Amino acid sequence: MIGALDIFAVALFFISFFGLITSRNIIKTIIFILTMQTSVIMFWLFIGSRTGTIPPIIDVGDIAYMYNLPAYADPLPQALMLTTIIIGICVVAINIIMLNTLFRKYKTTEWSNMAKLARKDHIEKY
Amino acid sequence: MLTFFVIVPVLIAVFLFVFSTNKAARVLAIIIQSLFVLATFWLFLQSRHTEFITYVGSYDDVLGIILRTSNTSAVFILLTSVIFLAVSIYSYNEEGVRTFWFLLFILEAVLVGLFLTRDLFNIFVLVEVGTVVVTILIMYYRGRRQMFTGMVYLMLNIVAMQFYLFGIGYIYMLTGAFDVAHVADALAYIDREALVLPYALIMTGMAFKCAIIPLHSFVPKVRLYPAAPSAVVAILSGVQIKTNVYLFLQFHQVFDTFSAQGFFLAVGIITSAIGVFMAMCQTDIKMILAYHTVSQVGLIIIGLFAGTEYSFLGGLFHVISHGVFKTALFLTAGIIFHAYGTRDVYKIRGVMRRMPIVGAVTVAAVLGITGAPFFIGSISKYFISADVHWLVEWSVIIISLGTIISFTKYAGMLFGKPDQDLIGDKPKPDTWRLVPAMALGAMCLLGGVFGQPLVNFLFVNTATIDIMGYAQKALIFFVSVAVGYGIYKYIIAGNKLLKRIGDLDLGFKSACASMGAFFGLIIIMVGVL
Repeated sequence: MIGALDIFAVALFFISFFGLITSRNIIKTIIFILTMQTSVIMFWLFIGSRTGTIPPIIDVGDIAYMYNLPAYADPLPQALMLTTIIIGICVVAINIIMLNTLFRKYKTTEWSNMAKLARKDHIEKY
Repeated sequence: MLTFFVIVPVLIAVFLFVFSTNKAARVLAIIIQSLFVLATFWLFLQSRHTEFITYVGSYDDVLGIILRTSNTSAVFILLTSVIFLAVSIYSYNEEGVRTFWFLLFILEAVLVGLFLTRDLFNIFVLVEVGTVVVTILIMYYRGRRQMFTGMVYLMLNIVAMQFYLFGIGYIYMLTGAFDVAHVADALAYIDREALVLPYALIMTGMAFKCAIIPLHSFVPKVRLYPAAPSAVVAILSGVQIKTNVYLFLQFHQVFDTFSAQGFFLAVGIITSAIGVFMAMCQTDIKMILAYHTVSQVGLIIIGLFAGTEYSFLGGLFHVISHGVFKTALFLTAGIIFHAYGTRDVYKIRGVMRRMPIVGAVTVAAVLGITGAPFFIGSISKYFISADVHWLVEWSVIIISLGTIISFTKYAGMLFGKPDQDLIGDKPKPDTWRLVPAMALGAMCLLGGVFGQPLVNFLFVNTATIDIMGYAQKALIFFVSVAVGYGIYKYIIAGNKLLKRIGDLDLGFKSACASMGAFFGLIIIMVGVL
């Protein structure tokens, strides 16, 4: 049931996760989040359409074809992945906007420097 | 019909986004929210014995999406709406209202939706929307520290939800279903080995959202609590984290082929113990309360996974009681901070003399969280440790002792003489803020006095509280207070080492690493052992 493409998606997922743990720069972290999302989306699409399947568009004119359908791709994962892609884009966009604002305020994009500076900020005002 | 419960908060949100600068409109919104509370109460009464099902888009539950209530979820929806009512009254005079009110009610819609939906992908979408809304609410004051914590929160939650999304993809591949009930039916025919990976992926995502211990210190939630407005924090720890516990429980029940009950019980005990220890080390009042959220969630998980009927009931009831007293504590902490201008627990003194009502509410809530007899916490703690293994019972007692120690420190600010520098000419507490706090404080007491009928009414049960057992628990409470006060006085107060331990926290990378470690742990626990 699990093919080479699935293994590729799983591998990309865990490589991205490893990248999240090791990358020191926030921009790289965002890139790894993107690859992680991509790997999940790939995995979902591979569920829907395996090799040897046809697109889920039925030719109404050809009746013989309709009664003798070959294996067609499952359209549901694709539909869901459209939603996921949109959510992913929104969330990553918010992330980039926040990083942009933070870069203006902290003048760094390194995790360790920014965390050090943030810890010194007093938040008594609130 | 159930879609109504998701749409009404959204409509309130849109209404307030347009009109919230007008005070009359805000009053109107509060009135609508009160009517919504009545509607959720009606829903609760209706779904005590029957399940409500709504088919969204008029397909049946295999093809379409359904919303469904059970007794438990209806109770939690009632809790959600009550706490949002309290918080919306509390923030009547909040500045820069427009986005705040809008996001607040959108969050309510999301949380109610999470309790209603039974579709795996819907859960993903709603949780993502909730994450974005919470992130923006956290950054509401737009300081750079708030932004940083908000960004860490957002990123970690995205990563956790990728785990979850991967897991449900795998489940869809195996079963071809998204509805929780159908997935549970289909999983019975699938090899156990094939389920290890999706189980670990989904449980890692969900455990992360509940702030279970190896994953808790991520909890920028915890770390950023002081940066966020009190009203938002009250919702985060009163309700938002409970939706995640509810989902966690639901997924545990879906995958009942894995008997991981003992594992999660142990995780709950560790979560609770470390949470309470970290709370002892804090000096910031909001941080103390935030770490107690971790600890109390651990206690809920102990209750839900201890495996006996009463402890399960106690775990469910502790969701309610924790929602009530923790919201009361956060709201009063907000008022106290507003009046004193500091959050250092050692500097604030004499709350009782300056603001007697706030002091009284704080006392009621503190007695609630420590499990004093005749307060709401005692009932849920009684049920959690009513008929469990003695090891679990003793861990609950020790955790309660820790809670008492840390709240001895917290209650210290009620007494003594106020520091002259801190008094200043700060305004009197706002009536709009006092009323919900008082109501919640009264609920702490009433919920305890009428504990047994309340539990039976909410969860349709016939549980009884044994008077002798309850008296024994009360005796243990008083002994713990004496011991706890001694430990606080001679060991904890002003200890420098503990303060240094309390400052420890994990950054983004180490939080991700702990997520990976937890994932590996589940794989080992379920797949190998």
